Amino acid sequence: MEYFQVSDLKGVLSSIKDIMFDKKDYLVELDAQNGDGDLGISMSNGFSKTLEILKDNEEDDLGKFMLLVSKNFNEEAPSTLGTLLSMFFMGMAKELKGKTKANADEFTVAMEKGLNNIMSKGGAEPGEKTIIDSLYPGIEELKKGVKENKPVLELFQSATEKAQEGMLDTKNMKSVHGRAAYYGDKSIGIQDGGATVGMYIFKGITEYINILNE
Amino acid sequence: MKKIINDPLKFVDETIEGILYAYGERLKSLDGDKRIILKNTSTKENKVGIVTAGGSGHLPVFLGYVGDGMLDGCAVGNVFASPSSSKMASMIQACDHGAGVLCLYGNYGGDNLNFEMAVEEADFNDIKTEQIRVRDDVASSPKESAEKRRGVAGMVYAFKIAGAAADNMMDLKGVKEVTEKALSNIRTMGVALTPCIVPEVGKPTFKIAEDEMEIGMGIHGEPGIEVGKIRTADEIVDTMLDKLLGDIDLTEGDEISVMVNGLGATPLEELLICYRRIHQVLSKQGVSIYMPHVGEFATSMEMSGFSITLFKLDNELKELLRQPGSTPFYTNENK
Repeated sequence: MEYFQVSDLKGVLSSIKDIMFDKKDYLVELDAQNGDGDLGISMSNGFSKTLEILKDNEEDDLGKFMLLVSKNFNEEAPSTLGTLLSMFFMGMAKELKGKTKANADEFTVAMEKGLNNIMSKGGAEPGEKTIIDSLYPGIEELKKGVKENKPVLELFQSATEKAQEGMLDTKNMKSVHGRAAYYGDKSIGIQDGGATVGMYIFKGITEYINILNE
Repeated sequence: MKKIINDPLKFVDETIEGILYAYGERLKSLDGDKRIILKNTSTKENKVGIVTAGGSGHLPVFLGYVGDGMLDGCAVGNVFASPSSSKMASMIQACDHGAGVLCLYGNYGGDNLNFEMAVEEADFNDIKTEQIRVRDDVASSPKESAEKRRGVAGMVYAFKIAGAAADNMMDLKGVKEVTEKALSNIRTMGVALTPCIVPEVGKPTFKIAEDEMEIGMGIHGEPGIEVGKIRTADEIVDTMLDKLLGDIDLTEGDEISVMVNGLGATPLEELLICYRRIHQVLSKQGVSIYMPHVGEFATSMEMSGFSITLFKLDNELKELLRQPGSTPFYTNENK
């Protein structure tokens, strides 16, 4: 795979959706420890309904398609994490606007813009036990890999590993955002649900590319 | 619960149906979507659009200020709940007349996040936007953390100023600056005597004892500064003015506008008794009052109680306040 096109975005969404369904109960369990327990449900609903609405859409502009993903996801996954992910997709949309294909470098820049959007609008930084803690190391690894001209599959495989490390690190962090913040020190030892979702996004992209390569 | 309603789930939609039947010549919905209300009178090309959004249950806030010389549009949520960002985005698009759109709304978590999303979409579609969050409620956070304060009745003055500035064909930056100047001179404080009932909930969301009042309570029943025994009108006004005047500098010779706003179930007579006291206290300090607003401007269903808003004026703000503004729910012609 050389370029991401709209058909690939649909494939990636489908792959992420499969993971969210597979891990639905696990996410509910994670979230119930210091949130309201709806994470698995809002994520599996959000990705599956967004995909259902857009799977036959004929838009071929990557940016305009991501805008539709952002809007629909926000409607179908009404939760704080749902809104943050919509901002992630919106950041990607603005970067990809006017392009019908994007190479790994351009896709990485778009993901970074998405991450910046979450950080600036959500007001969180790495190390505060949020989705940023898996997205940030994953995207940093992508940027490094792009410079080294890594093949796409390898690129996303190593990014997924870093995202997973970041996700596991959230166990040692204290929540400062959202409802989880009320638990303060008690949140230490619990893996963050948002960071887990962030890792699944990398995993979904990697699995899609892997299937293409087979 | 004793309310004159049909189905609690249809509370908002049926209210808006009534509004559109009554005032359809001046207001319209966007493509039949009752949750997006737009001005239906003529608008100058290249005028900056002024929009807001928020939960229902506060009429005339928010949609009641859509009209000439005020707002161009309003996205409407359920009772006390923010409308979705996609409704806001469609509204912003509909209110862009070529010079960009100012989003002017109360500082509440849901509205903040949804407006952030909506302006991102507007940006994607190459529409210029600016945002201002109204934070006039002095009781909601101390002065040191004034950025956390909620937006209450003072936003009505902000709508008036922004609308007038836009009508004068100021550009987006100019409209934003003069509205921010106005807001830096606006402070509000409220007191509640009885709670309100959200139709879908069916019972009061909090309790206040028969002989007590809550000073500083928010317009959704957010806790205030203190619960105390009910006192006389003059004593209540003095307490509130004390807090307000500790937050904004007024000196002899200053001119201000004052809003005495009923929260939904307080008679106009009682509001005027309070206004009387405000007038007496301020004139003793050499502060004169221009265009007082006494009535219901920002309510909370059937909550009883009232709020006082002080708006310190300079010549520019005074002119913008005086300039004609007229909606089905508001006019400054009788002030």
